Amino acid sequence: MTGSSHDSGYNEAVADAAANLKKMSGVSVITAEQIPETNAVTDTMQQMADQGATIIFATSYGYFKYALAFAKKHPDITVLHQGGYQDGTFPANFGTYWGAAYEPVALGGMAAGKATKTNKLGFVYAFPIAQSIANIDAFQLGAAMTNPDAKTYLVNTSSWCDPVKQKEAVNALSAQGVDVFSQHQDCQTTVIQTAKAKNAKVVGYHYDASELAGSSWLTGSAWNWTPVMKSIVTTIKQGKFKGSKYNANWIGTFANGDNPLELASFGSSVDSGTRSAIKTEQKKLSEKGASVFTGPIYCQDGTELVKAGEVATYEDVNNFSCLVKGVVGTLPSTSD
Amino acid sequence: MKQGQVSTLNDKKRHTRIVASVVIPLISICIALGCFVAFALAQGTSLEGLYAALYYGVLANPNFLTQTMTRSVPLICAALAVIVPARSGLVNVGGEGQLIIGAVAGTGVAVSMGDAGVGIIGIIIVLLSGALAGGAWGYLCAVLKTAFHAPETVSTLLANFIAADIMLYLLYSPWKDPDGSGQPQSKPIAADLRITTVAGLPIAFIIVIVIAMAVWALLNKSRWGFAARVVGSNPVAAFRGGLSVSRYAHSAMLLGGALAGLGGALNVLGAEGQLRPGLTTTFGFIAFLAAFIAGTSIWKGVMYSIVAAAVLVGSNPLQLRAGLDGNASYVLLGVTCLAIVVISRKTGRAS
Amino acid sequence: MIEIILAGGIAVGTVLLLPSFGELVTERAGITNLSVEGSMLAGALTAFIVAKTTGNYAFGFLAGAFAGMLVAAVFASAVVFARANQLATGLICWFLSLGITSVIGNSYNGQAIHQLRQIDIPGLSSIPFFGNIFFQHDVVVYFGYVAIAATAWLLYKTKTGLIIRGTGERRAVVDVSGHRSSLVQFAAVLAGGLLSGVGGAYLSIGQVGNWASDMTNGYGFIVVAIVAFSGWRVSLTALGSYLFGMSISAASVLQAQGIAVNQYLLDSLPYIITLVALILASRTNSRQPEGLADSLSM
Repeated sequence: MTGSSHDSGYNEAVADAAANLKKMSGVSVITAEQIPETNAVTDTMQQMADQGATIIFATSYGYFKYALAFAKKHPDITVLHQGGYQDGTFPANFGTYWGAAYEPVALGGMAAGKATKTNKLGFVYAFPIAQSIANIDAFQLGAAMTNPDAKTYLVNTSSWCDPVKQKEAVNALSAQGVDVFSQHQDCQTTVIQTAKAKNAKVVGYHYDASELAGSSWLTGSAWNWTPVMKSIVTTIKQGKFKGSKYNANWIGTFANGDNPLELASFGSSVDSGTRSAIKTEQKKLSEKGASVFTGPIYCQDGTELVKAGEVATYEDVNNFSCLVKGVVGTLPSTSD
Repeated sequence: MKQGQVSTLNDKKRHTRIVASVVIPLISICIALGCFVAFALAQGTSLEGLYAALYYGVLANPNFLTQTMTRSVPLICAALAVIVPARSGLVNVGGEGQLIIGAVAGTGVAVSMGDAGVGIIGIIIVLLSGALAGGAWGYLCAVLKTAFHAPETVSTLLANFIAADIMLYLLYSPWKDPDGSGQPQSKPIAADLRITTVAGLPIAFIIVIVIAMAVWALLNKSRWGFAARVVGSNPVAAFRGGLSVSRYAHSAMLLGGALAGLGGALNVLGAEGQLRPGLTTTFGFIAFLAAFIAGTSIWKGVMYSIVAAAVLVGSNPLQLRAGLDGNASYVLLGVTCLAIVVISRKTGRAS
Repeated sequence: MIEIILAGGIAVGTVLLLPSFGELVTERAGITNLSVEGSMLAGALTAFIVAKTTGNYAFGFLAGAFAGMLVAAVFASAVVFARANQLATGLICWFLSLGITSVIGNSYNGQAIHQLRQIDIPGLSSIPFFGNIFFQHDVVVYFGYVAIAATAWLLYKTKTGLIIRGTGERRAVVDVSGHRSSLVQFAAVLAGGLLSGVGGAYLSIGQVGNWASDMTNGYGFIVVAIVAFSGWRVSLTALGSYLFGMSISAASVLQAQGIAVNQYLLDSLPYIITLVALILASRTNSRQPEGLADSLSM
């Protein structure tokens, strides 16, 4: 993994799953953290293999290329990459796994839309990557479901974890009247802390931080990698990996009942009406063919992002490059 | 009798010198390593774990050498980028930025070639453009110094951050790989432009060693090298002797930047295959350190760069075998370098 | 909107202000300390651990100051007494601090304590426009105002200041006049480390209320740039720190208003401005201590 295993975020969620894997019988786990997204990761994987590892989970997007190359070179080791997407053929010992992250994010947006008194929501993101764009869009679409007047205001920080910039982002949004915050950062403590000091509400991401946020907590999305990782390990141990659904691009969704990004716990301020509305929506999303991104969906400039009657596939979502109507702010890539 | 006395005197001198140049450094490094071991033990690691890390990760690891050589490529280039300007009295803290700009330019050219199948000529063009861009980036700071008296220590440091922002801008906007799931990365570089290995040796490493030899010859055997040294050691004498101080400052920074730029481009063609943010991860600063410890000696610079690369590669076994945090390698690097820096001053005075 | 940018800039600028003054004093004594970043990291983590365990912020700041000074002491011992190279030793101390704080701080990532509360200064805080910008902050920001005056007074109005400046210009003169210039330099570096430690402590327990590995994100190097930008003057060091803070808050505020900004240009702006300031400084007479330039060569 790239960061610290105690970041209350993405990496801690992975560390938790690794700890759970350790409890499986006949499985031993070694982990490495703070590995940069460069050729250095190849060596890390090699060392793991030397130490007897037969399954390697590479858990950051930047490891993708190296993980794939490593798998091709070592047919006896099964390599799973978290978050990547492989076009073309798969080696028999390689797979990617990820979740439709935007689904629970949209549900969080519903809670946010209901909670705001100013109709202004804030979203602090790091860089304009496809995942962040999809999350922002889903958050706004969800918010609009419970509050048609809700708008999402954006600030980016150009860093996955710069607490100073995170605090400034929350301050600036708060001055603008925003009273509910969400984010896509690697570390979320500062955003929660600052929002809490302003008596604003937060919707978390990556990790259930309800304890830290206290009464500010609405809900959030939290990774639970344990089921899918366990299932992958079991499949490999039974010798059934080749050709299985994991020997491909595996995407957990609500519809399949296996989305690794789950809806986190509700905060005390979320009333039962909102809770049940969110649960109902979650059920709806769990039906075959349902999606957060069901047309018609319009970009900020009025062009159609998803046509009426159509549903965006996972690949479509991965290529989203516009913000939906109701989002205030521009992506750095379109601003010059 | 007289002769005997002289020889004992010489023996004494020699003994002091041996003590100064071998024993003291050895003891200091042992103390430094001892500090690291104590730190590691305080973090709950066992001696067995540390030994396992050393044995399986380094001694019995066939990939250790290749990995170290691969990683030392940008380090050596950036260290040379410090040493060359230092000969003419300039302090270049901008290796990091020059590496980045070289990698950016190299990637730009390589990606624009696409799958044209230009092979070796393409590789040379890519490397030259990386060198040219890095050189220009360094040259800029030399001009700021000679024309405006802006201290190059500060301007090269600032240029690092500007270079990083230029790279981020390109990767998030115009150069973003359309097939990269929206991730910040350039398109991958065509396979025929990549530099691989020959007989287990990374070709990029061989290129760098050849270049280091050339730089050594240039500095020590050429007129330019001599003049540059005069300018560095005694600008007033150089001026009286009719040497243009600013001309040598310009060319030294140009060459230094070009070496780092070349390193950036080599790293992309050799190890990485595409441009991603975080490509250099403080390599420029580590190289600066290696170069400073080396004084102005090219070969010491190369050697210390390789040692630093080995320590970085060593962070893996420290985590996997000894259970230490990944950043512990910075502690190891720090204590070792601190010992060397202090020693080099002490022994320098003793001899 | 301008009010918000300026007020935010003052708060963020304070994180840089104290280390900047530390580095200013250090450089005025003829030493460049590149391990400001290291002292800040050490200060940030130590302050967080102490404040978290004791619940006392004053202890936190004291411990942070001490930790920052400890890093500076390692640096100063090597540089002043062993005459090791300053730039190299500075980088080494940064690496050491980065490594040690990351390892020890790992288990503190994600933990939190409350941020320092805002204290409005009675009367002053209700002045239109200026009240918002200058007088609605936490206590450390006000301490920063005092530090501006105190540093100026120390450097320009006291005998100590004269000795420090003299050491930076001509060590021999100071030695001849009966003071030991190496002790002066040692003390100046320690003072610098102390202020950097306080700056780091303010970052972790004052501003954001948590610790994250490598949370200084290069701000310590910006401090070195700010001092150069100022031409080694107290007033411009303060201005530079606040300006840098403002560029960070401007990036957020403009975006929150829905105004399109080129993030990368905005991010690199402070560095470009500093470069321009360096160029302009050549036309006016810079106050660069004479001993400083010599101390940097290899």
